[in-house]
Amino acid sequence: MIVADGLVKTFGKRGEIRAVDGATFTAADAAITGLLGPNGAGKTTVLRMLATLIPPDAGAASIDGLDIVRERARVRKGIGVLSDARGLYARLTARENVRYYGRLHGLAGTALETRIDALLGELGLAALADRRTQGFSQGEKMKVAIARALVHDPATIMLDEPTSGLDVMSIRGLRDLLRALRAAGKCILISTHVMQEVALLCDRIVILGGGRVQATGTGAELLARTGETSLEDAFVSLLGSAEGLAA
Amino acid sequence: MSSPETSGMTSLDRIVTVARKELTDTLRDRRTMLVTLLTAIAAGPIFFALILNMAASQAEKARELKLPVIGAGNAPALIAFLKRQQVSIEAAPADYEAKIRSGDLDVVLVIAADFETDVAAGKAVTVRMVYDRSRDRARAAIESAESLLRAYNGQWGTQRLLLRGIAPQVAAPLEVQGIDLATPQQSGALILFLVAYYGLFASLMGSIAVALDATAGERERGSLEPLLATPLSTLQLAIGKWLAIGAFDLLVVLLTLAGFYLMLNFAPLPAIGVPFLFGGAELTRFVAILLPLVLLLPAVLLYVGLRGRTLKEAQSNVSALVFVVSMVPVVQLFLQKKEPAWLLWVPVSGQYTLLTRALRGDGIAGTDWLQSAALPLLLTIVALAAAARLLRREDVFAGR
Repeated sequence: MIVADGLVKTFGKRGEIRAVDGATFTAADAAITGLLGPNGAGKTTVLRMLATLIPPDAGAASIDGLDIVRERARVRKGIGVLSDARGLYARLTARENVRYYGRLHGLAGTALETRIDALLGELGLAALADRRTQGFSQGEKMKVAIARALVHDPATIMLDEPTSGLDVMSIRGLRDLLRALRAAGKCILISTHVMQEVALLCDRIVILGGGRVQATGTGAELLARTGETSLEDAFVSLLGSAEGLAA
Repeated sequence: MSSPETSGMTSLDRIVTVARKELTDTLRDRRTMLVTLLTAIAAGPIFFALILNMAASQAEKARELKLPVIGAGNAPALIAFLKRQQVSIEAAPADYEAKIRSGDLDVVLVIAADFETDVAAGKAVTVRMVYDRSRDRARAAIESAESLLRAYNGQWGTQRLLLRGIAPQVAAPLEVQGIDLATPQQSGALILFLVAYYGLFASLMGSIAVALDATAGERERGSLEPLLATPLSTLQLAIGKWLAIGAFDLLVVLLTLAGFYLMLNFAPLPAIGVPFLFGGAELTRFVAILLPLVLLLPAVLLYVGLRGRTLKEAQSNVSALVFVVSMVPVVQLFLQKKEPAWLLWVPVSGQYTLLTRALRGDGIAGTDWLQSAALPLLLTIVALAAAARLLRREDVFAGR
């Protein structure tokens, strides 16, 4: 369970750029929450704060009751993060990349190897497991990065634009994986600007614009509130036309 | 999905995990491996062999001087003297000046046709030595020809004074006696310098490529951000990387020194006798002296590397460090005065001083080593803490 309460993050020498300006929302367990917003809405910054990578300037957030600033070390054990930057070690094999993160999370031995095999199998990477990631396609690299984020079986999973660069088959595979994780009771937060993704996958939608939460609810609730028939129209109407079109 | 057991993990486990991953990653980087090994390991001994060769041929020249002479028949007494001194007299070719300019001849003695008549007339006579002093190779031949002529001059003058019943001391009240205190180990300053220099250089060059790949490389690839979201602390990350870079650096230093050791002890070097010893004892001392730098330089490179957003940016930052480290010994070599005692405290400078001492066969007290190690060890800790702090800064991955 993620609870964000008035998160603020500013950049620039005098804090003149308010990337996130009071974001308040929750993401429940056993649910997929979509953080939807146009480019520059502050999605990545929100995720970075929740992933304990950068501290908020104001406001607070907790994950499973643990404060993301004061209890940073404990928060990190329970989260799996696919961040904006998702580089792999090109000279290590897919398995070794995932194993490195597993070890850092305190896993070892056969338990870790079994887990890696299972994950790579689920992501369709079994055949590539022992090849160096050097020549991997965009989609294959993304899958390794996802496996790496999930190796310690975290209760909370945060994925920043997880479908970017993936082909249709891979996206379908990823959706199945996320649904399975939801069925296992995980709290899943994904950020995206792809409307279709949200419609197909998310139980709840948090619409972010200008660093603020503009609306939250299920897809049906958002359609009802705006009186629109498509999610895209609802999105535009909620954000105000100009910003919406930029998406 | 079953949840794997999360075992209790100490910070040492995490540090070791990082160090192991970095070493695996490094050793698989063939190109960097090759470049590092070639520059640090092969370049030293190869360069060194050339210098030794040069020194050997110079010593050869000094010992058996071949002196081309123009007009050897004009001064038979002088020629006889030179021959007694083991000089082999040759007739000089007509185009000797051109040959000296081109480096084919080192020095030529020219004796004028009126030598004997001038002597008979009681006039001072002139012989000419023709050479090109800008040629280092010719210097030994020039100097020995010069000193032979001076010796002949002295002998001749002394005989004249004696004929007139005057003691030679009257004309030469001051006798200069040079007493060379250099043991065989202390001569050959240039070679000495090179060995110490390459030892130092190996400790720097051994870690640059590896350190930059582990720092700026990690930032550039975008693999740093996800790493920082794991339970790994930034200090653990910094120490783990430092250990891996340091281990590789130590390997390069050991290989470089082993190269010197093998070459100086087993290679068929010219028979001049190496002007110093580089045996097992010196090898051990070198490693001990360089150890503080093997700890310090990787830590500094870690910090400098992390400041670079890209490999390219980091490389230009590092070149400043390379400049300082490589210039310190050169400055010290050209320093005319005796080195001040505080120099031993200065990182790099202290190590260079001790390395040359070890080569000279001078004793090195434990306190000397402690002095030279104190600041590097302290700065290692400072650099590691600074690197860990840098990793906590938001802009280390944000705003790439």
